[in-house]
Amino acid sequence: MAELQGLPEEYRDMSLEELHREIRRMEQLIRLLKDKVELSEPRTSGPDTQDVDLHSTQKTETQTLPCRTNTARKEPGCTRSLKVQEYKRYGRQMIMPEVGLSGQLALKKARVLIVGLGGLGSPAAAYLAAAGIGTIGLVDGDKVELSNLHRQIIHTADNEGMEKVDSARKFLHSLNKEIKLVAHPYHLSSKNAVETLEEYDVVLDCTDRPATRYLVSDAAVIAKIPLVHGSALQTEGQLMVLNNPPIATASKKKGPCYRCIWPKPPPPQSILTCGEGGILGPVVGVIGVLMAMETMKILLPALRTNADESTRKGTPFLLYSAYLNPSFKSVTMRGARENCLACTTMANGRTLKNYGYDTFCGLSCPVNILPPDERMEPKAYRSISPTSGPAPILVDVRENTQYNICHIENSINIPWSTIREDPADAFQSMNKHIQHNGSSQVPCEICFICRFGNDSQLAVRRFREQQQKDSGLKFTCKGDIRGGLKAWREQVDPEFPDY
Amino acid sequence: MSSKPPKGHFRLLYFASAASYTRKSLDDVPAPLALTDLFAHLEKLYPGIGQAVLSSSAVTLNLGYVDVEDQEGTGGCKSSDATVINEGDEVAIIPPVSSG
Repeated sequence: MAELQGLPEEYRDMSLEELHREIRRMEQLIRLLKDKVELSEPRTSGPDTQDVDLHSTQKTETQTLPCRTNTARKEPGCTRSLKVQEYKRYGRQMIMPEVGLSGQLALKKARVLIVGLGGLGSPAAAYLAAAGIGTIGLVDGDKVELSNLHRQIIHTADNEGMEKVDSARKFLHSLNKEIKLVAHPYHLSSKNAVETLEEYDVVLDCTDRPATRYLVSDAAVIAKIPLVHGSALQTEGQLMVLNNPPIATASKKKGPCYRCIWPKPPPPQSILTCGEGGILGPVVGVIGVLMAMETMKILLPALRTNADESTRKGTPFLLYSAYLNPSFKSVTMRGARENCLACTTMANGRTLKNYGYDTFCGLSCPVNILPPDERMEPKAYRSISPTSGPAPILVDVRENTQYNICHIENSINIPWSTIREDPADAFQSMNKHIQHNGSSQVPCEICFICRFGNDSQLAVRRFREQQQKDSGLKFTCKGDIRGGLKAWREQVDPEFPDY
Repeated sequence: MSSKPPKGHFRLLYFASAASYTRKSLDDVPAPLALTDLFAHLEKLYPGIGQAVLSSSAVTLNLGYVDVEDQEGTGGCKSSDATVINEGDEVAIIPPVSSG
């Protein structure tokens, strides 16, 4: 092994076991020294508290809101390192051996960045603010929408349309005025991610698409901070601490990053967002809450050694599935990948400015496969005059659950998934349906419709293929409704539910 | 879900997009099966799953990560070509979930 420069003589011949013992001894000593310093410092050295009236600041600019420093007066002879009210506020967690005064001070000193203030970020931010994390950075470029509220519990209906970072600050500030909140009201990009993350000790990835997942992870590798990863869709969630430790130490290898675990992004057409695939509030909530716990475990020094021990065999990865029995499953993931792009090239170059995340992950473009004459605008469909014959039967290809939520009167439902899997059977059942309803028009005509106008085009194409093979089909196809039910709502029926 | 796969089988668990694609949470598959044959076996059962799901998924065998397509020949817990999935084993297909 190459000789390490600057290593004192006495350590050169130590066995691995002796080195580990020495490291533990020194870590213990460092903790005690830090506690001693904390206890000796005047109270004013704590994080500034912020008091911002969000009602009066309808802001859109991108810098943080002005903060009013609340300077605590130093009382003579007082060596307390927390304010009197903080002992009371944090007492229930401080009496835990896992926390203690030193732990509470560590939380107070900590700077934690939460990227994404949605279903994961909301509960995570609430618990971390309540626990007294001294500085919490909040990143989000979106505004609060009504459809967020069943899961994004720190936003309220009163704040619909407000920047999420402001809505979050308002809630978190009402929860705990002892902490500093820093607003980053923008989407992270390869231009700003590293410099944003570098201001913090830990980052929570609470984002919602593959490109930002890779971006946050790569930036965490460059900024050399641990990353708490959580995600959730439908009834399932995932939790993992990545990039921990962020650099190799004498006793531990560098932790894997997101790229080490999943070097290849899923194909863009297979990606479902919560808006498309759906999500149950408590599912994403439980993962967000657990992300807060993992963050605290990283920051609290007391039991860190125990936590390290438990991860020695691999990186723990927790899967939650509401309908699995038991609901939680823990597996171990691989360690850092030797040839990982982020852990090698990006970490060395210290930049990701030339990296195209959208190119890497691919963009899911809207489907556009039908010629214009096979696509009908909703208003054109609506204005078909009875004198020119009956309008085509609308075949709604959304999943049955969505069709049952709302549908256009007299439309019939054949889900695209059914057509894709077994077109012969799907179109035969349509035949029966049309016969059953005794359509007078022979052959009658159909027109596909879906939520946004993508699957309806695929259905038309599949129908044409099937038509070549099966001459028994009792109907012809006009095409699809361009823009689906979204366009229908815009052009024909503003009351049609937007779910 | 029964607690164990039947005799002569191993259990294959599907998560996230693997569950959506197969429309199942699990399959019991005849054992033994070479780990390197797993994806081909699944492709036969569910045409298209390789490209849509498996190519980006992580795989665990008895709760530990395994490299199924160990093209790079690296990694802390890599499986050799000889790894065999045996009767009673549990394999999980874990695609990344990006939403939240």
